[in-house]
Amino acid sequence: MSTIQIFDPALCCSTGVCVVDVDQQLVDFSADVDWAKQNGAQIERFNLAQEPMVFAENPVVKGFLERSGAEALPLILVDGEVALAGRYPNRNELTRWAAINVIEEKDASSCCSGSKCC
Amino acid sequence: MKFLDQPPRFLFFTGKGGVGKTSIACATAIRLADAGRKVLLVSTDPASNVGQVFGISIGNRITEIATVLGLAALEIDPQAAAQAYRDRIVGPVRGLLPETVVKGIEEQLSGACTTEIAAFDEFTALLTDSALTADYDHIVFDTAPTGHTIRLLQLPGAWSGFLEAGKGDASCLGPLAGLEKQREHYKAAVDALADPQRTRLILVARAQQATLREVARTHEELATIGLTQQYLVINGILPDSETETDPLALAIHKREQAALQAIPAVLQTLPRDLVMLKPFNMVGLTALQHLFDDTAPTNTVAVDSPLELNEPNLSDLVDEIAKDEQGLIMLMGKGGVGKTTLAAAIAVELAHRGLPVHLTTSDPAAHLSETLNGALDNLTVSRIDPHQETERYRQQVLETKGAKLDDKGRALLEEDLRSPCTEEIAVFQAFSAIIREAGSKFVVMDTAPTGHTLLLLDATGAYHREISRQMDTTGLHYSTPLMQLQDPKHTKVLIVTLAETTPVLEAANLQADLKRAGIEAWAWIVNSSVAASRTRSPLLRQRAANELREIKAVARQHAQRYAVAPLLQLEPIGVERLRALVSHQ
Repeated sequence: MSTIQIFDPALCCSTGVCVVDVDQQLVDFSADVDWAKQNGAQIERFNLAQEPMVFAENPVVKGFLERSGAEALPLILVDGEVALAGRYPNRNELTRWAAINVIEEKDASSCCSGSKCC
Repeated sequence: MKFLDQPPRFLFFTGKGGVGKTSIACATAIRLADAGRKVLLVSTDPASNVGQVFGISIGNRITEIATVLGLAALEIDPQAAAQAYRDRIVGPVRGLLPETVVKGIEEQLSGACTTEIAAFDEFTALLTDSALTADYDHIVFDTAPTGHTIRLLQLPGAWSGFLEAGKGDASCLGPLAGLEKQREHYKAAVDALADPQRTRLILVARAQQATLREVARTHEELATIGLTQQYLVINGILPDSETETDPLALAIHKREQAALQAIPAVLQTLPRDLVMLKPFNMVGLTALQHLFDDTAPTNTVAVDSPLELNEPNLSDLVDEIAKDEQGLIMLMGKGGVGKTTLAAAIAVELAHRGLPVHLTTSDPAAHLSETLNGALDNLTVSRIDPHQETERYRQQVLETKGAKLDDKGRALLEEDLRSPCTEEIAVFQAFSAIIREAGSKFVVMDTAPTGHTLLLLDATGAYHREISRQMDTTGLHYSTPLMQLQDPKHTKVLIVTLAETTPVLEAANLQADLKRAGIEAWAWIVNSSVAASRTRSPLLRQRAANELREIKAVARQHAQRYAVAPLLQLEPIGVERLRALVSHQ
């Protein structure tokens, strides 16, 4: 099973409402992460404002910050290698990296991703 | 005093800066200790004058007060607590991560929320059973956590993820992730707060309409959370006896009595105590022992020497502003210091000099646009309702961004949207369209965003700056709102304060916060100064004498230029009275 690591920019709220333009990606992504975890994916998230040490100790992440700065986050590593940078992955990408059974995914989101509305 | 009757173990005093929370908390602690109880007094006042009050140095450890048997005190500095917290997070990566990255992290942890939660963290040990506090019958706090902080601590969603596993979703409570205590400690602390057997909340106010309205909001917010045992203390009331000699004293007395008559309905049922204005400073044991006395002691401090205040007035400031013929003028300061009135006075004076002015206000009282629109040829007035703007912003975020969240996530997003930052952002967004007019006329605003908000806004503007660099090579001009505010040719920030210790300190903090965002406050205005009025009332003259020290501090330590505006007998409504405020001499 692959490990997906998400390195978030510094946010005082995950919902990002402290920042003027609430990032829709971020809100959606939080929901996608929950879904992927329920399907067995191994996902870790690190917020730059809360666990900066994790960023500093990982040479790939550290190098990325030195080259591109914090404004280029988020950075997504899969098994320690850069998989994506500058935006959050969508559900398909998470599915591929975590090797989640696609049929299962279709079942889960057959009408509207959530569980209550159907 | 009703609030002193059969007090529970924990007493919290809450109210805005300058109403006298610390003095009343000190006097309460002395009263209880004199009655033979063991008392711990906890101060988080940034002015931190508890030590000064007792003539000893206290600091961040429990210190016995030798002059009062049974009394000990502790001072918590919320700023220092927040700094210690930032250092814990940021310290280890300094030098490891690029300097700009480290700066960005620090900014995220520099908001009011972080300060408040860091201070609450210091409280928790005192609220939960511990060896530290076992000896004390009463613990008296000169401040109380806000509803926002308590609600966050109560939300189950806030605790999932970061706090328990150290990973997962962040929240406004994110700052707590770096704090050392566990969820059970916070829960026990919140439970203690909401237990009427253990906790009494005392709302401290002045007999002023705006202050009482604010206290009513605090009351409702905290009552909803479960802090139901509340008392009301109205401090610093001018006694009847002062009104015979002096028209200003009479006017103040009438205003105060009118405010008490019109006290908000939700406050009417609370047990209420009135504390009269005293002719002495609240420093020293004797003074504090007499704070709750109704009869003024006879040893009235005589202020016979004439108070000749020769300070720059508003018209000097307006002269300088007028020279530029256009620009953005923002008045900044805590609630109740008179920003709106001063903004109106400056706008009216500029318009009267034939300069085009747009006055825009967030004051809930609508009379400004009613009394000023159309009153002067060059003046337009617009109003933004902060509650409406905030509500619109919240709804917009919840409908779009929160659509897919589950109940827990939605509750958390809703609470994040109740943070003080949200209102500031919503109001500032509403103003930003008007700000652009400042290239061709004067725009005068009675509000300004804090440096923290500006820096956060600007972080999201990083992308736009990148674009602007590309645009610059093609000869196009682009500037972010922050760049506009940093340019002294374009923007002047005027900091408004009262000539009292805590308000001056709060204003200095606002100035420091702006400086972090690269904005220098252009001037300070000391408003509602009794010293700048000509009063013969002995009580008011004593207050005037106390003001001089604060005015001196503003002039020497804080402001690059300043003006003093007098406390007026009549509320400055309408063009003539507003102009009189500027040209008062």
